[in-house]
Amino acid sequence: MTKDVMMPQESMHTVQSYEQELEQLRSLINKMGGMVERQVAQAITAVVEHDEVAALDAPEMDPHVDELERQTEALVIRLLALRAPMAGDLREVVAALKMSGDLERIGDCAASIARRAMRNELLSCPISLTGLHSMGRLVQENLRRTIDAMDQRDPELARIVWQSDTAVDELYVSLFRELVTYMMEDPRNIGPCTHLLFIAKNLERIGDHATNISERVYYSVTGNILPIIRPRGGTFD
Amino acid sequence: MNTVLMDNRPAQTQSAPAIAIRNLDFWYGENHALRGISLDFPTRQVTGMIGPSGCGKSTLLRILNRMYDLYPGQRAMGEVLFDGRNILSPGIDVNVLRSRIGMVFQKPTPFPMSIYDNIAFGVRLHERLSRTEMDQRVENVLRRVALWGEVKDRLNASAAALSGGQQQRLCIARTIATRPEIILLDEPTSALDPISTARIEELLDELKQEFSIAIVTHNLQQAARCADRVAFFYMGELVEVDTADKMFTAPHEKRTQDYITGRFG
Repeated sequence: MTKDVMMPQESMHTVQSYEQELEQLRSLINKMGGMVERQVAQAITAVVEHDEVAALDAPEMDPHVDELERQTEALVIRLLALRAPMAGDLREVVAALKMSGDLERIGDCAASIARRAMRNELLSCPISLTGLHSMGRLVQENLRRTIDAMDQRDPELARIVWQSDTAVDELYVSLFRELVTYMMEDPRNIGPCTHLLFIAKNLERIGDHATNISERVYYSVTGNILPIIRPRGGTFD
Repeated sequence: MNTVLMDNRPAQTQSAPAIAIRNLDFWYGENHALRGISLDFPTRQVTGMIGPSGCGKSTLLRILNRMYDLYPGQRAMGEVLFDGRNILSPGIDVNVLRSRIGMVFQKPTPFPMSIYDNIAFGVRLHERLSRTEMDQRVENVLRRVALWGEVKDRLNASAAALSGGQQQRLCIARTIATRPEIILLDEPTSALDPISTARIEELLDELKQEFSIAIVTHNLQQAARCADRVAFFYMGELVEVDTADKMFTAPHEKRTQDYITGRFG
């Protein structure tokens, strides 16, 4: 995996309108990336800081993300039909289609987290949110680096982020155990802990979608495929 | 590479190659048109040759049946091994060679004679067949190129009356009538409409059960559709050869990538 062929893309298409359409596709995906990054940040702020504005804002961005996904899909179909992209272009176009799907799902997870943030059970919750906070920070950091790898077409960064989702998995498993313990200690904890569990699960899903995106970036740029089995952290056994 | 993603077209030469080129150089007078080419044409596979105009792909095809012999000042060095012999060596009987390595050109080139005789003519040069045997041979090859139904009632009509696509299929029929081992095609569909093109491509799929095929094409989609392996030539050099799948999804060389994505200039 160390001597991957880097395929510099500095040369331009002879047909400029083709180049422009690819450029348009990149900008759609980047815009989508920026938008879901903000959505996730707000969802986490909403939960950790009980921030009402953030809690309302994150779900409101959802339709915009969906719209960008639809535009990406339409442009990809157009490119495939009219340009018949080959080699690196083909990989990039297909990767864009798949990444837009993952980004849209990340947006959904963020909206779902934000919708739970202002529940009364959580606002009056006696349980410390420290674990959730660090998991949120890590997921946010991984997502940010994934989107950087995507913007900069950097396969090495993509591979590093792809590997670092292990830590998110580990945090999720320990958080899960912690929350189950609280629920067993006192049934009154079941309400808030269930919400926290769903929030943790959504964060974990965001991490998984981010690794999918890293895989796409890696394949799109190098033409090589990362192993099917991703390193995973933490088990429930 | 993940095997699940690969198509099932064979990647490697399983048996001995039909033709093995080793360190081939070619000159048109002073012009060094091919440099140090080494390339195998696997048996019963389609090898596609792509590259910009003047890259040497057609030159290579013309070497394979010694067509350059017809022109003074053109010379080849190196080895082209076919059936254990170097076809570049002076001792080779060029007429026998050309009956074993058939060629189809860009523009259909039917002889100015009847449909029947277009096929019988070449066969008569190499074999003595009875009338019935010849009739059978003509019918057989016309069926194989899916032309029989369209021409069986007018075999004695002039081939010039056929459409372009029909003429090209007739030329392929004429080529396989002498039972060659290898068929060379130089942009065989560039003058044809999409339906005729699809028919020829379907025919190639059929013919590779029996023949080894080399096709030069400017149509990258055609190379992607028809070829098992694809060779990319640039300025007289063989840049890269690999399975069609690999060449069109993740070529190794930047020059290949630039050419097939339309970035050359």
